[in-house]
Amino acid sequence: MIDGLRYGLKKFWSEAFSGDLLILSISIILAVTSISSVSFLGDRLQTSMKLQASSILGADLVLRSASNIDSKYLDLGTANNLNTAETITFLSMIISDEDNLLTSIKTTSDAYPLRGELKIIDFDGSHIKHNGSPPSGYLWIENKVSEALQLKKMDEVTIGNKVFKIDGIIKDYPDRNSSFVGFYPIAIANIIDLEDMGVVQTGSRVVYRYLFSGSKKNLNLFNEQLEEIPSDIRIQQAEDVGNNLGEALNESVTFFNLASLFTIIISVISAMMAVKRYADRNLLHVSLMKVFGASHFFVLGHQIMQLLLVIIFGTLAGLVFGYALQHLIITTLQDILSGNLPPPSFKPIMLGFLTSTFIVFAAAFPYVKILSNTEPIIVLRNDFKINLKNNLFIYLVAFTTMFIFLGLLFQDLKLMFYILVALIVVTTALYIVGRLLIYLLGFINFINSKGWKIGARNIIQRGNESILQIIIFGLSLLFLIVLTETRTDLIDSWSDTLEEDTPNYFLFNIQEYDLDNISEYLQREAALNLEFTPLIRGRLLSAKRSNSNQLSSENFMEREANLTWSEPLPKSNSISKGKWWSKQDTKPEVSVDREVAESMNLNIGDELLFSAGGSNFSATVTSFREIEWESFSPNFFFILSPSLGKTLPNSYITSIKIPSDMNIMNKFTQQFPTISSVDLGAIILQIRNTISSASLAVQYIFLLTLIAGILALVASIFSNRDQREKETAIMHAIGANRFLIFQSAAIEFLILGFLSGITAVIFAIILSSIIFSQFLDFTYSPNLLILCLSFLLGVVFIFFSGILSIRKTIYTPAVITLRDK
Amino acid sequence: MLSEEFTAEVTKSKIAENAIKNPLKDLILEVKNITKEVNSPEGLLTIVNNINLSVESGKPISLVGPSGSGKTTLLAIMAGLDLPTKGSVSLLGSVITDMDENQRAQIRAMDVGFVFQSFHLMPRLSALDNVMMPLEIAGDPDASEKARNALVQVGLGSRAKNFATQLSGGEKQRVAIARAIVNQPKILFADEPTGNLDTKSSSAITDLLFSINELIKTTLVLVTHDLSLAKKCDEIYELSDGSIL
Repeated sequence: MIDGLRYGLKKFWSEAFSGDLLILSISIILAVTSISSVSFLGDRLQTSMKLQASSILGADLVLRSASNIDSKYLDLGTANNLNTAETITFLSMIISDEDNLLTSIKTTSDAYPLRGELKIIDFDGSHIKHNGSPPSGYLWIENKVSEALQLKKMDEVTIGNKVFKIDGIIKDYPDRNSSFVGFYPIAIANIIDLEDMGVVQTGSRVVYRYLFSGSKKNLNLFNEQLEEIPSDIRIQQAEDVGNNLGEALNESVTFFNLASLFTIIISVISAMMAVKRYADRNLLHVSLMKVFGASHFFVLGHQIMQLLLVIIFGTLAGLVFGYALQHLIITTLQDILSGNLPPPSFKPIMLGFLTSTFIVFAAAFPYVKILSNTEPIIVLRNDFKINLKNNLFIYLVAFTTMFIFLGLLFQDLKLMFYILVALIVVTTALYIVGRLLIYLLGFINFINSKGWKIGARNIIQRGNESILQIIIFGLSLLFLIVLTETRTDLIDSWSDTLEEDTPNYFLFNIQEYDLDNISEYLQREAALNLEFTPLIRGRLLSAKRSNSNQLSSENFMEREANLTWSEPLPKSNSISKGKWWSKQDTKPEVSVDREVAESMNLNIGDELLFSAGGSNFSATVTSFREIEWESFSPNFFFILSPSLGKTLPNSYITSIKIPSDMNIMNKFTQQFPTISSVDLGAIILQIRNTISSASLAVQYIFLLTLIAGILALVASIFSNRDQREKETAIMHAIGANRFLIFQSAAIEFLILGFLSGITAVIFAIILSSIIFSQFLDFTYSPNLLILCLSFLLGVVFIFFSGILSIRKTIYTPAVITLRDK
Repeated sequence: MLSEEFTAEVTKSKIAENAIKNPLKDLILEVKNITKEVNSPEGLLTIVNNINLSVESGKPISLVGPSGSGKTTLLAIMAGLDLPTKGSVSLLGSVITDMDENQRAQIRAMDVGFVFQSFHLMPRLSALDNVMMPLEIAGDPDASEKARNALVQVGLGSRAKNFATQLSGGEKQRVAIARAIVNQPKILFADEPTGNLDTKSSSAITDLLFSINELIKTTLVLVTHDLSLAKKCDEIYELSDGSIL
């Protein structure tokens, strides 16, 4: 064996440059590039997402409640070596000499925030160093507060019974979604001043939060000890808010995984084709080695060493390309990722070696077994051909290994199941198509065309080889078409997310008496037609099942619920369950966002008890809605029926699109000082950047799979090139002219390409619809342009590659080709 | 035709070495009651039927007969490349029909050379690499030097770097002969060595084979249907339908 390994090492370079090992090496390089780039990427994206998620919470873990939380949990955190901090947030008026403003007051303890950054600046723009909370008696405020109340440094304001001095401006803070979302400006005070303010009393709307951070191990230990926590305390962890990073990023990760999976499958296919040719051509070498006295183990050692070197060099090259591609994608995605990413771990490197070893094992191991068992007598018989029919187990071993590996790698049994079923079904279908073709060609008499006659005869004669080529062509095209459709629909759907007329301002706190004035003003200044939506500030108190059981719905009980009422179903909403009310309905009804309904375990017919405008009222849940939040129109978790909503006091809200070149908002705020506005421009820009970055990243990965697919087609065409060259030379020798040889080969590849292409298109439609509905939550409608183009390009590619593969032989004197074979 | 570079010193030393190794009139190969049967669509087919023959060391023999007469099968069995259904073969004093494939391979590596009708050179290797192959398999540290010498012996010292595809048919067979003799075999099996060559090249290869046989006293076992070639051997065995006539 050692001698064999040494011999394999010595002969590697001559084999590597001969072309036989080259296609195998390229298959491995592509697969490793794909898997390592996705893995490098995933590794760093996960770190980035974790950082962003923690920053959204301001901690790794948060206990949150609408009522005071027992301080024993802070002690428990400290006992588990965790850092701790505390915030208590409530709504209150900030009163200055001139005016007053309803503000979200956040009182914080030292060390806040535990994750993310709280940036405080002075009025001159310089940074203020702090420990997480202002000194007692001082206040940090957002710019909006200072502008609205015309406050300067050290001005005095009152909150409840306590007088504060203005100390700094809040430039940025991490846990923006932790309190009364978005609508109110924020001010931060020291938590020790809370009691002196005297504003938090029984029934006040308050959010109590305990913040914890530390090592994963300590957090897990702490979490385990929280099992008996009261039901009104919610545990929030960084992992739970990872989705906030953006749907586009999640979908692109799904696409990366899918592309990566397809690339590996396609790479295995091309590796199998490459190994088949390598094995065919190595039969002479191996049998000669045996004739000259090489033992079974010597031959085994030779093969193992050659494949080992392919694995090592292929993987190293793949890792370099993978890292470079990942770097390119990270650079592309920098708009959606947080700044300083840590370097990737060693995991992708291990994964790269595992992938290449698996591909070589799956594709080459059975051939290695055949080669090492080769009988030396075949040298005398001149029989250097591996019989496919007798080696079907090769493919069984390869595919079983492939799915075990992919199952372990992707850990997505559902995806693996669908892909496995797709592979079996499509391979069977392609096999049947191939068999039928061979059967039918036997009956067709091409009297008028010698080219057709010879082309058809070649397909029949090659039998299983022809069927195998139809299968390989078909499978490669199938995966490429599915991925092209996925890529196109994904990018299209992202682009559709933000239409040209997407609103960029929210206006709220609009009272009934201002409606006409505002409409008139914005019509005059910006030619805008406004639609106002009623906004009722309320609170969800409880939920009751029709059988009188009280539902546990801690997710929303302690929150302020912004309600509205509407006669027609709002534009960006669709009913997912139940029925929207009609004009005649007079019963108190409520329509709920589907996701909220699921989180609260609501059913149609349940009763919800709300509090708004100083009174309590109940409404029956009659429908669930799917909401397009990306529309940037005013959307609500709860919509009341008009008969109920009209009886409640409300203000109005609207969204408007102000063209970027029109600077009217400053004038508007001066004209309507009581109206609050929120500028969505930065958010929209961020989303646009996310979309274009994710689209570009998807293109890179797609390109990689495309190259793998093309390589598989080339490998398949070249797998029986030697035999074709010999047949071409014989035809040449017995008098066939170049045109006839060209015509017959062209017809052969045209038939194979056409049949595999049409079968691939049919099954691509089925597989795409499954992937769209099961993994991307999209509605699939076949993209005729892509399907037709893919079919045509596939057939043309197979046709020209096939012709090119024998072109040299057509123009080479037959005697030279035959002598060299 | 031997190369002029083939020096008298080398020749003398080889003759002396072989004379010690293979004393004349020793039996180098003994075939007893060999029968080879194979399964075919028509049923059990007898390829070689109860053959007995013996070969003395240094004496070339030839097996002649029409296509399908069983010549190549008999050669494969005698060389240990295949096993008979019945009977035994003794090669260089060892009963190779009782050995397993690895043991037979060891004997081939040490003492047997082969020349084939289709040359069977590795197309992607140079002439030198092709000739080195048996020595590399045997783990010989001087493989390169010995292979160069062998190429010189067959008159292709200047073509060592050429790939097999760059050689003519006659040159390919010379390289194949160099490969066959490079490990100083005691017995050389040649299967239709001139079958793929034109008359001129045939004649040159025939001369080369017999010259080498004469000079290094290896024992040549030749399969051919060319009677003029066969007549150059000391003994001729004629096969027909798997039996010696």
